[in-house]
Formats: sequence, C-alpha cells, structure tokens
Amino acid sequence: MPVPHPLKQRLRLKTFRGKFILTVGTVVLISMLVSTALALRNAKLLASDATAEIQKGLTRASQEYLTNYIQTTALRVDAVINETHAEVITLAATMQDLIDRPQIANALGSALAGGAQPSTPLQYDPVGKWAQNAKGAPSVLSVWGYLLGSNKKPRPDVNRLIRETAVFDLVSRSLMTGGARKLQFYYVGPKDRPIMRTTPYADQAQTYDKLYPGHNAANFWDFFFPGVYEGWQAWLRDISLMPVKDSYITTTKPYVDATTAALIVSYFYPLWTKDRSNVAGMTAVDITLDQLAEIVQSVKVADTGFAFLAMENGNVLAVRPEGEAVLGLVTANAASGRGVTGVDRTLTKSGQAEIRSLDIPTDDRTRIMRVNLLRNGVSAPYIVTLQRLNKRNLWNGKVIVGSQLVLGFVVPESEIYAAMTAAQASVDRSLQRILQSAAITGILTLLVLLIVIVAISKPISAGLQELAAAARRLKDKDYSVRIAAPSDDEVGEVGIAFNRMAADISYHTENLEQRVKDRTRELAAASQEIFLLNERLKQENLRLGSELDVARRMQKMVLPKSSELEAVQRLDIATFMEPAEEVGGDYYDVLQNGGNVKVGIGDVTGHGLESGVLMLMVQSVARALEEQGESDPVLFLSVLNRVIYKNIVRTESDKYLTLAFVDFREDGEVILSGQHEEVLIVRNGGAVERIDTGDLGFPVGLEPDISSFVATRSLRLAGGDVLILHTDGITEAENPLGELYGIERLCESAARYANDSAELIKTGIIADLMTYIANQKIHDDITLVVVKQR
Amino acid sequence: MEIKTNDYRVWVDGSTIHYEGTMRLSSPEDYAPIQALMKQVLEANEGRIDLDLMGLEFLNSSGINLFAKFTIEVRNRGGVGLGVCGTARIPWHAKSLPNLKKLFPALDLQIL
Repeated sequence: MPVPHPLKQRLRLKTFRGKFILTVGTVVLISMLVSTALALRNAKLLASDATAEIQKGLTRASQEYLTNYIQTTALRVDAVINETHAEVITLAATMQDLIDRPQIANALGSALAGGAQPSTPLQYDPVGKWAQNAKGAPSVLSVWGYLLGSNKKPRPDVNRLIRETAVFDLVSRSLMTGGARKLQFYYVGPKDRPIMRTTPYADQAQTYDKLYPGHNAANFWDFFFPGVYEGWQAWLRDISLMPVKDSYITTTKPYVDATTAALIVSYFYPLWTKDRSNVAGMTAVDITLDQLAEIVQSVKVADTGFAFLAMENGNVLAVRPEGEAVLGLVTANAASGRGVTGVDRTLTKSGQAEIRSLDIPTDDRTRIMRVNLLRNGVSAPYIVTLQRLNKRNLWNGKVIVGSQLVLGFVVPESEIYAAMTAAQASVDRSLQRILQSAAITGILTLLVLLIVIVAISKPISAGLQELAAAARRLKDKDYSVRIAAPSDDEVGEVGIAFNRMAADISYHTENLEQRVKDRTRELAAASQEIFLLNERLKQENLRLGSELDVARRMQKMVLPKSSELEAVQRLDIATFMEPAEEVGGDYYDVLQNGGNVKVGIGDVTGHGLESGVLMLMVQSVARALEEQGESDPVLFLSVLNRVIYKNIVRTESDKYLTLAFVDFREDGEVILSGQHEEVLIVRNGGAVERIDTGDLGFPVGLEPDISSFVATRSLRLAGGDVLILHTDGITEAENPLGELYGIERLCESAARYANDSAELIKTGIIADLMTYIANQKIHDDITLVVVKQR
Repeated sequence: MEIKTNDYRVWVDGSTIHYEGTMRLSSPEDYAPIQALMKQVLEANEGRIDLDLMGLEFLNSSGINLFAKFTIEVRNRGGVGLGVCGTARIPWHAKSLPNLKKLFPALDLQIL
C-alpha cells in the first residue's frame, strides 16, 4: 500500500485530526449559528415590540388629534352657522318689533316713501304680470300678480304692508356689508300678502319666471315652501311641536336658488302677528354651499386628508372636489318642477362600498373608524372621523323636522402612520445592519477559531499519528520501532503499552527458535511424567479392579446355582440379577431345607463392596437360621435383624436393607414376611394380584429390634400360578424421557408371559424392561425372581 | 440455607425443610451436605421441624436411609416434634414414609 503524503494524510477527514477539526468546528459553528439566530430573533422581537408601542402611541395620539380637531371644527361650523343665524335673528327682531308697533312702522314707511327711501318705484311687468321695483335700488321688491288690483297696482292692504316693511331694505343692506359671508337676505310677507323683498337687488321675478314657471299664479308660500307656514302655525298652537326648543330658525335642504341660480341653503326665521296668534311672514338668509364649504374645506388633516359636511341622511353638503372623488359621490339633481330644486349627493349612493355602509352617528360622540377605499383600482385604508353637529329645524320639502348635520374627516391611514412607517423602515435598516455585522463577525470568528483548532489539533493528534506510523512499520515487520518520549496522557499510555508490546514481539520473534527447543524439552519431561503417572494409575486400577473382582466373585458364588433351583421339584424357579455397578446391593436366595423352600429378596442401600459385604452377611445369617430350622418367619426375621444390626454397629456402616421372605410350605401354604417391594401373583388365567408388604416388616439393620413390626401373610398358589419378586431397580428404571417403568408395566409384562415357563417369563419381563430403558443409564441393581407353581 | 443442583433443590424456610426434584445420590457420603443442613435445622429449632417432601419426585434407598437416620436422631433427642408431609401421587412416599412413623410413632405424617 502506498504511504500517503504526510500533509495529505493530515488533512484527510478519515484521520483523527480531520475528525477532531470537523467535530470541534461543527460544534463551534452550531453554537455560533444558534447564538446569532437568538440575537437576531431578540433584535427582531425588540423592533416589533417598539413598532407595536409606537403604533399604539401613534394611534392614540392621532385619534386624540382627530377627535379634538373634528370637535373644534364642529364648533367652528356651528359658530359660523350661529353667526349667520344671529344676523337673520337681528333682521327678524327688527321686523318683528315693527309688526308689534305698527304706528312706528307706518311712520317709518311713510318717511321712507316720502323721498328718504333709497328704493325705486314699482313697475308692472305685462309679460310676467307682476310688479317689481326698477333697478338701482339696494333691494328688490316683488309684488305677485294676485296681490295687484285691477289697476295693476298693489292692493291697499298690500301697499300698507309694503310701507310697514320698507325698513327691511335699510337693515338688510347694512347687515349684508358686515358679519358672516352670505348670499342674500329676504323677506316674505304673510300668506295673504306674500310680497318678497330681497337684498341685494336682482332680477328676482324674471328669474322665477324662468326657473319656476307658474309661480305667479300660485300662493308664494304654497308654491315655494309648502308646509313651512303651516309648521310655524302649528308651533304657535303647541310649543312642544318645535323640533329644537327655543330656536325658530328653520333650515332648508340645499337647493338651487331661484334668484342667483347658485346652490344654496336658506335659514328662515318666522315673524308673528302682534298678538302672536298667527304667522306674519318671515325673514331669511341664504348662504351658498361654497361659503359653507370654505369652513369645511379649510380643514386639512395630514397631506390629503379632507373634511365633509353631510346631512343626517348622508346627503353631502360640503366637500372639496378631490374629497368628493375619494368618497365616490355622485351628484344627481332632483327632478325640477315646483318649489326649490335640491341637490342629492348622498353617501348611501357612493361608488365606494364601505362609504355606502358607513355608520352615521346617532349621538354626539365622535366616531373614528377604519375603511378601505378604492383609489385608482387599489384598495387603501382610510381613517374616517364623524361628529354630529347641533340640532336644527329642517324643512324637508314637506314639513319641518329636527335634523343634525354630520361633519366628517377622511384621512389616508398611510399619512397618519407615515411617521411610524418611517420609524419601522429605520428599524428594518438597523436590523439589516445588525444582521450584516453579525454575519461578518461570525465568519471572522469562525476563521479565527478554525485556525486555532487546526493549531491545537496538531499536538493532540501528533501522538496518534506517531502511533499509527509506528504500527504500520510494525506491520511491515520492523520490530525495532519504538515511540519516542510518549506524552503523559492516554495516548502516551498507549504509546508505552505499544513499546512494551513491540519489545515483546521483538523478543518473541527473535527468540522463537530457542523457545521452541525449550518448550519441546518441557513437553518431553511432562510426557515422561504423564507416562509414569499413567503407569501408577494402571496399577491402582488393577488393584481396585481385583478387589472388586473378588467381591463380585464372592457375590456370584453365594447366589443359588441353577442346579439348586432345578432341584426344587414342585416349583419352577427362574432368577435374574444385574448389578448397577461392579457389585450390587441386591440380595436374593433360594433355600431348601427338607420340604420347605424359602425364597428371600432384599435391597441393601447403596452399591459397591460395602453393600456387597452386607448382602453376604445377610445371606450367611439367613442360611444359618434356615439350617438351624427356624420355622417361625417372625422370629427368623427378628433374629436376622439383630445379628445384622449388631454387625452394622460394629463395622460402623450406616447401611441397612429391605428384606422379605416367602416360605413355600410342604403343605402348599405360602407365607410372606418382611417389608419389601410388592409381591405379584399372576393367577393361572391372567389375573394379577399385588400384595403390599409394608405392614409385614421393617428395614433390617436400622433398629435393634423389629419384632413388633414383623408380621406374616398366608396365601395359596394353584398350579400354573406365578409369584414374582423384584427389587425397585425394575419399577424405578427410567426411559430416555426420565419416566419410571412403574409397577403397572411390570404387572402387564408379567401377565403377558405368565403362561410360559418361569425362565421364559423372566426373559420376557427383562426384555420388555430393557426395551423400555433403551439407551438410558441403569441407576440401580435389577433383580427378578419368578416362581411358578407346577 | 439452600442446596441446589440441576436435579434437586433443598431449602429451609423457618423450621420447615423443603425438598424438590429427583435425589439419586449413590452413597450416604454424597448425602452428607443435606444431612448437615438437616442437623443444623434440628439444632436451631426447639419445638418442631417439618419436612416438606411434596415436590420430591424420586428418592433412592440411600436417600430413604437419610430420612430414617434423621427420624431416629429426632426421636432419640426427645422434646422435638417432627412433621413429614408427602403425597400419595408419588410411589415412594406411600411405600417408605410409613416406616418413618414406625421408627418414631409421635411423628406427624401426612400423605395427602
């Protein structure tokens, strides 16, 4: 493998140093990004908080400003209207005073008629069929045709009224010169004599003929102002019918003035008869809407904010043309005809949806609302402020009602919040600068940190690189390699360990030959030792084997020979014994003494030589007792137990045995005694009887005296009956699954072969058992004695 | 106190010694540790000792010898009660436990 160039190797990401730089660099980068992001977020939050604060303050301030401004303007409009009112009231007061004192009016009228008056004489107009004073006078006086006598001169009562009201010309002329700006003052006489005086002079009747044909044929009041006269008469009867208490001033809706053809509003003030029982005409003043609009138009909010004045029903009376455009108003002149022609320019018919649905206030509180208006096809937010003016009497063309004008301000929201927008832009610029400086600082810091990391990684990784290089050399079988002066950290420890291992490898490699020789010698010595030990072991085994051989031969010697069994004439006997180890603990014997045959079976605890010897002892004692002629089974067992017990005590053995005997008496009686496994009887015919021997005795060698436990049981065997004795090596034998053979299987097996000879029965039972055990280990001695009654 | 092998387990719970599994030890010497444990319990208890054999499926003759010897020891000591609990389900219980009662008539034998 080619060795990489050191520099290339150092900078590769696979190297420890590369990973170290990458890890630390990533951590630093992440923490920087997180802290920068947090700082920016905080700055943004701060900015948005500030903006919200500014907006709140600005909104409050602008709302206060708008409220104050509109209320002030409302006061101004009211004041101007009131001022105009004051003049009409002054004129009316003068006229009313003269009505109340007719002698002064008369005198004043006569004086004025006597040459002192500035007026010109009345002239009958044959075309219009009315009389009117000629040009040159300050005021015009029109006397309608129905007020003229057949001589084309005013009727006497009309003439008296002309005389009594001549003072109007004087007063109105002086009022026109000062005070508020107005279009004209006029006077209309009572309904029975509705002469009309107007200052300044105009071609009044001629204009009426042109604009309102037919007016000269109808009563002036009914033609021009139907319902006004009757309204005032009603006030006289019931003061509560006045819409505005203490104010007789009655306003008209804006209309096209018949005299000047200008769009005007009139303020009427009723005159009363001396006894206040009827209306005696009126004085009135007209102001053009332009004049009223001047007040409204003088309002300027922000750059393009404007004001408008509207009636309760939304009909806009005054607004600048550009305001009219913003509000989307459409001017529609009402159908001309009788009376004055109004102007209809209501908000409810605006082209702007949100103006159409504008909520006109129904109380005196100032309303501020936000609406979206279309300007050049673009929707823009506007702030609309509305304020209701004082209540006035209004003649709506039919009757007199109470009505209140509404003053409105409309300002583009963008202008109100212009300062805030500027502040926000400034904040945004600041944020931008913060972001830029943060980015620059971050990049610089990262660069510096990278340099530092690269620098400090060098000493950290140097040890590892040296180790790696050394390991490569070692791999290439350069066993002389060592780490020079390892550092005192973990890498240093590895270096020291490496040196030690390298030294070991070096030593082992270089001394391999010698070591093989040494080891071979050691092995040879060990082999010799093992050989000697093996020899000794063989001898030991031989010794032990011969000892066991002796015991086994002893045991086999004392078991009854087959010739002995065959010698028993009346019984067919077969036996089987298979010790689990070299020498078993099972015992069986067949003793014949005269006509009696005694078969014994027993099981000594444990196996081996000691058990075998105990079995020999039992056999010897039993033989001795049998030879002595002991015919009492209880005594037989009790004596045997005593002898064995004492011998066990002497030999300090802790073994004992179960032991049972079957006495086959000459007279055919069979007597069982002693405690052992169950005795099986297979009757000729196949029925199996199991005889429990638990109550017939007690283990031998355990207690010094067992005579009280020993009992006998007597039975008889018929020809062909089989008696089977066994040890627990059969019933407790296991199959490969660990299941015990059990007494039931033994019974079945015995029954199966019971018709055969004892030998075949024995062979069959053992074959069944061995089949069951299969390859499982045999734990215990297996002993079987089969006795068949011939 | 507990003796445990793959085949069997013997443990003490107060004055009761429990036996479980299959005991097929080949000689009395092999039973010595269990015998020592039983002796220890006998030394430690004044009133009564109980042997719970309900879980002892198999016991060879050397094992039965152990219980016989222990019963004789309790009997000879005097003053200590002995209870043995077995089950009729297990063949060797019915066959061998009554002998313990014969050795020590005061023994409280219960074959359930």
